Amino acid sequence: MGRSIDHSDDLKWYPRSWREHYGEEFAVFLQDRYGDGPVPMSARLSMIRCGTVERLRTGGIIGSSVNADRRIRGASLLVLCAWGLFVVAGAAFAKYTEHWPLATPQVDHRMPEVAMGLVRVAAAAGVFIVLIAGLVTLPALVALVRTDGWKSMWATIRMMVVSAAVTGTAAIVIVSWNAHLSPSQSVTTPWSLRAAGVVGGLLVVAALAVCLGTVVAIVYRLRLSDQVTRVLGVLAMAMSGALVLIFAGALTWWITTAMHAPWFFGSLVPRSPSSPAPLAMVVMALTMLSGLGLAGFGTVRIAVGMGRSRCAPAPAGRTE
Amino acid sequence: MGKAGKAIGLRRVNDPPLLILTSLAEGPKHGYALSQDIEQFAGVQLSPGALYGAIARLEERGLIEALPEVERRRPYRVTAAGSAELAQAMREMRRVVDVGTHRLGLLKGWLA
Repeated sequence: MGRSIDHSDDLKWYPRSWREHYGEEFAVFLQDRYGDGPVPMSARLSMIRCGTVERLRTGGIIGSSVNADRRIRGASLLVLCAWGLFVVAGAAFAKYTEHWPLATPQVDHRMPEVAMGLVRVAAAAGVFIVLIAGLVTLPALVALVRTDGWKSMWATIRMMVVSAAVTGTAAIVIVSWNAHLSPSQSVTTPWSLRAAGVVGGLLVVAALAVCLGTVVAIVYRLRLSDQVTRVLGVLAMAMSGALVLIFAGALTWWITTAMHAPWFFGSLVPRSPSSPAPLAMVVMALTMLSGLGLAGFGTVRIAVGMGRSRCAPAPAGRTE
Repeated sequence: MGKAGKAIGLRRVNDPPLLILTSLAEGPKHGYALSQDIEQFAGVQLSPGALYGAIARLEERGLIEALPEVERRRPYRVTAAGSAELAQAMREMRRVVDVGTHRLGLLKGWLA
C-alpha cells in the first residue's frame, strides 16, 4: 500500500461521532477507490450532502435514530434558528416601517396600529422566551464550564466574540458618522454612508448567524435533565406561537396599509400610484415564511418527541 | 416488508441498502469490496457518501454488523434480521417481476 493521502478534509462534513466510528475505514475506502488521484467533484459533493444529512440526524433534527430527548433538543434549536430569521426580518421591517404614521392619513391608522402593536408584543414575548430559555439552561452551562474548563469553552465561543466585536465597532463607526452629518447631508444621505449601512447590516446578519451557531454547538454539549429538555421544548413551541403572531401582525399591517395608503411603499407622495409589494417587503415576508417553516417543522418534532418520551421508560443515569 | 426495511429503502432495485444487503448475502465484505461487487452485479457505482450512509443506517438498525478490522478495513456481514428483510424485499420484487413477465407473455401471445 504505502499511500498516505490525507482525506481528513473530505471527512470534515461528518459529525465527530460518525468520524470516530467510520472515519478511518472511510479514508481507507477513498484511498482504495481513488488511489493517488484527486477525489472527483461528484464524490466530494456526495460527501458534503451525506455528511450534512448525518449531522442533522445526529443532532436530532431529522430522522428517528436518536432518542426523544435529543430530538426535542435539536428541534428546539431549530425553532431558535427560526427566531434568528425573524430577528433579521423583524429588524428590517421595523426600519422600513418606522415613519409610517407620518406618511399615511390619520383616519387609516386603526387597523395597522393594532397589527403593529401585535408585532411588538409578540416580538417582546419572543425575547422573553429566549431569556427564560437562557436562565433554564444556565446551571447546565455553569456545570459545563466547570468540567470542561474555560479553554475548551473559549475555543467554541471565540468566533462569536470576534464577530460581535467587529460588528459592534462597525455599528459605532456608522452611528457616529451619521451623527456628524450636516443638516443638508442628513436630507440626502451620502452614498458612502449608505454603502457602510449595507455592510453594517450584513455584518449584523453574519454575527447573528455565528452567535446562533455557537449557541447550537454549546447547547448540544450541555448535560440537560429530561425535565429541562422538556421545558425547552415547551418554550420552543411558545416561541413558534409568537412567531406566528409576528407574521400575522406584519402581514395584516402590510395588507391594510397597501389598501389605504399604497404610496407608502413607493414615492411617499399621497395618492400617487405605487406598487403595494416592494422588493424589500417581499424579501422580509419570505424570510419570515422560511422561519415559520422551520419553526413549524421543529414544533411538530418536539410534539412527537414529547409524546414518545412520555411513552418510553425514563433512562437511567441522566444528570444535569 | 418489515418496518426497518421500509424506513431505510429496500423497495427499489437500486436502493443502496438493498444493494449492500444483496452483496453481503454472499459473505462478509469491507466497503471497497462491497462497492466493486455492487458495480459488477448491478452496474451501479455508489458514491462514497451514499455507500457509507447506507452502511451506517443498516448497522444502526441491526441489519448488518461489523467484524474485526483487517488491515484498517472493517468487513460487514448481514445479520439474521437483515437476511429476513432482504428475503422479504426479494419476495415483493419477485411478485412484481412475475406479474410483469406474465403480462408481457400475454402480450407476445396476442401479437403472434
